[in-house]
Amino acid sequence: MSELLEMKGIQKSFNDSPVLKDVEFTVKQGEVHALMGENGAGKSTLIKILTGIYPKDGGQIFWEGKAVDINSRSDASKLGIGVIYQELSLIPTLTVAQNIMLGKEKAIKGILQSNKMKLDVEELIQKYNFRIKADAVVETLTIAERQVVEILKALSENSKLIIMDEPTASLSAKESESLFGIIEQLKQQGVSIIYISHRLEEVYRLSDRLTVLRDGVRVAVLEKEEIIPEDVIRLMIGKDLSEATASNNLRVSDKRVLLKVKNLKRKGVFKNISFEIHEGEIVGFAGLIGAGRTEVMRCIYGADPYDSGEILFEDKPVSKTISKNIKAGFGLVPEDRRNQGFTPLLSIEKNIALTNYDTIASHGIVNRAKEKEYGNTMVEKLNIKPGNSQIPVGNLSGGNQQKAVLGKWLSRDLKLLIIDEPTAGIDIGAKDEIYKIIENLAENGTAVIMVSSDLQELLRVSQRVIVMRKGEICAEFSEGRITQEHILMAESGILTKGGNEDEK
Amino acid sequence: MKNNNLNIKTIFNKSQKLWILVVVMIILTVLQPGVFLTFANMKSILLSISIYGIMVCGTIFPILLGGIDLSVGAVAAAAGAFTVVQIVNSGYTNQGVIIGVCGGLLLGIIVGLVHGVIVTRFNVPPFLITLATQNIVYGVAQLLTGNNVIACMEPKLFAFLGGERVLGVPFSVWIMIFMALISYVLLNKTVFGRSIYAVGGNAEACFLSGIKSKTIIVLAYVASGFTAAMAGIVLASMNRQAIAKAAQGYDNFVLTALVVGGASLMGGEGTITGAIWGAFLVGVISNGLRLLGVASDYHGIIKCIVIIAAVALDANIRYKKSGLQKKSLFFKKNKAQA
Repeated sequence: MSELLEMKGIQKSFNDSPVLKDVEFTVKQGEVHALMGENGAGKSTLIKILTGIYPKDGGQIFWEGKAVDINSRSDASKLGIGVIYQELSLIPTLTVAQNIMLGKEKAIKGILQSNKMKLDVEELIQKYNFRIKADAVVETLTIAERQVVEILKALSENSKLIIMDEPTASLSAKESESLFGIIEQLKQQGVSIIYISHRLEEVYRLSDRLTVLRDGVRVAVLEKEEIIPEDVIRLMIGKDLSEATASNNLRVSDKRVLLKVKNLKRKGVFKNISFEIHEGEIVGFAGLIGAGRTEVMRCIYGADPYDSGEILFEDKPVSKTISKNIKAGFGLVPEDRRNQGFTPLLSIEKNIALTNYDTIASHGIVNRAKEKEYGNTMVEKLNIKPGNSQIPVGNLSGGNQQKAVLGKWLSRDLKLLIIDEPTAGIDIGAKDEIYKIIENLAENGTAVIMVSSDLQELLRVSQRVIVMRKGEICAEFSEGRITQEHILMAESGILTKGGNEDEK
Repeated sequence: MKNNNLNIKTIFNKSQKLWILVVVMIILTVLQPGVFLTFANMKSILLSISIYGIMVCGTIFPILLGGIDLSVGAVAAAAGAFTVVQIVNSGYTNQGVIIGVCGGLLLGIIVGLVHGVIVTRFNVPPFLITLATQNIVYGVAQLLTGNNVIACMEPKLFAFLGGERVLGVPFSVWIMIFMALISYVLLNKTVFGRSIYAVGGNAEACFLSGIKSKTIIVLAYVASGFTAAMAGIVLASMNRQAIAKAAQGYDNFVLTALVVGGASLMGGEGTITGAIWGAFLVGVISNGLRLLGVASDYHGIIKCIVIIAAVALDANIRYKKSGLQKKSLFFKKNKAQA
């Protein structure tokens, strides 16, 4: 295999602080090359230089052996570098075919050849054996399907190298599985892939080589046979990580029942939802994307209406108004951090204040000193970096943003915390910290409902695991030991355990 | 001390456009020595901006939410007309002034309430609803005045609002300063103000944080209607007359002042200090052009060119700060980078 891409001595600084120091990075033809590193290690910056978004301060890029200048996104795509972004960049109201042909429409004398374009796209879909319709409108597709469209878009530009940044962050296990199949297929066709992911097990499974960055320095390049999970983690964070057990000792709490959900139903979304949550308990909710977990949680929290059923909190019906539930001791760390979790332009302290005005303000006037104090306390307690509560949350890294969102609730007398995908797109170090925060809360009596698609996380943190499938609870694990296989089987409907017997 | 320092720095950082104001003022001072930079001239600039300066104090709220209020000029005209008609009908009594002013302000509040309710209840885009009410309210102003100019020189109490001087400064300027202070306090010291910035920055996150976004939105439009009505009443007093076209073009002045002052039309960003400075810049440019003897036909053209330059410069600085590779739409890049 020959070198497709060689980046040599890449340098980049922002405001005099170096982000990349003399970084070397090579990709061979037809290989999956994983780029690993904690948040802030310089992965994104390196990719942005490669795709022409940032100019480099120093170094050289060779493409198929020739020195090249990449000054813009279009320079990169002309060479054959395609990117699948973390935030997908499709136009929701256009069809799959229209999105793929965007900017390279086929026209005769200015008249669009819609049918021809559709056929071309269908051919492309068949060539790679994807299951997707060329005339489907993108907004009707699932996130996983949209990702396929992005990949098709890159392939239609004859990309020789596709960069995938956290491609499985919002995919369920099954959807990820089909993505891995696609990656395998692309590899066989000679396409190279740069794979960036925080999900280590994927990386070990997929990658042919692996480059580790730490603090802007390339610390290692490993061949497939050299990749040992513990080593990679050590290289990434520079120290040993207290690896949690993969399986878990489950138990039913003997403390009093805090939340009781009975036969909750929302037409077309979920039905027959019944479960109980005890004080000080961490209950994991597993399931594929679209199983209805987030939707159930939003109803409990008061964000969405439901059609029938009962939700009791401390034996009293739960209000349908969010602010009343917050007063009663509810908290929510939502699924989509960027769009639902925080206000990016506001500082950490002002974001934290949003849920605490009942104590920070009196008669509608904000007490600045108190607000600062709350902010500083949380920055210190949660180790939010950089340690300054005046920085806009939008400028923080993913892990620190999530800590700030958590910080909105930790000043309160929190009785029930619903946390949805707590560590999506977050590096290992911050993950560990967030788990500790959750565990601490539970030890102090707060009940935690954790919705997660990360099986390791579910096993590591939860004391019970409830599995949802197609809008219903299909299994509950509350004793003994379970493994990822158990949850996977339940999610896909092979295994049922403890769920509702009287369903239908 | 240090805090103070930081404030000035952040103001300038947040809106480099303010440097334009300083530059324009220096140029005018040099070109018109002893005329431009005098107390009397500054007062006249302040007087000329006081009407839309008052409006800005309320209209900033919907702008911060990412909304807009295009009806302020029409509301001002209708409120001024209502007040004058009341005074005339009452036989120019002080009681008529009080009823007229209260009624005028109430009219502004009601229009704002309608905006807020329609925006939050029926999800009509603010641009559309306020454009529609602009025409409706303008129609109301025409009906109130019977499409005539209604003069109103009496009583003294009414003339005071727009004409009298207190400590040598026109009363309308004091009203502007007072409203700006209230606006500043609301935006910076209260939960309401914080919520405005937060909802403007991310409405969904605020909803999930238990903030009553809909109430906040309604109040923002009420504030805008209220200040528009207040400005209209002061304007009527200043002109000693009511006319349906009284505040024509003021919607533009208000938006210009806000945008030049650093407010983002996408919401979440902007300060009242910036908005007042923006209004001042517009006033300074008009004043300068008049002092330099430029024919009034050119005023609008030149004013807008300066404003575009200011906004473009600011956008450019922000873009550079973001660290992105500079793209030029017009020139091909030379292969200078080796």
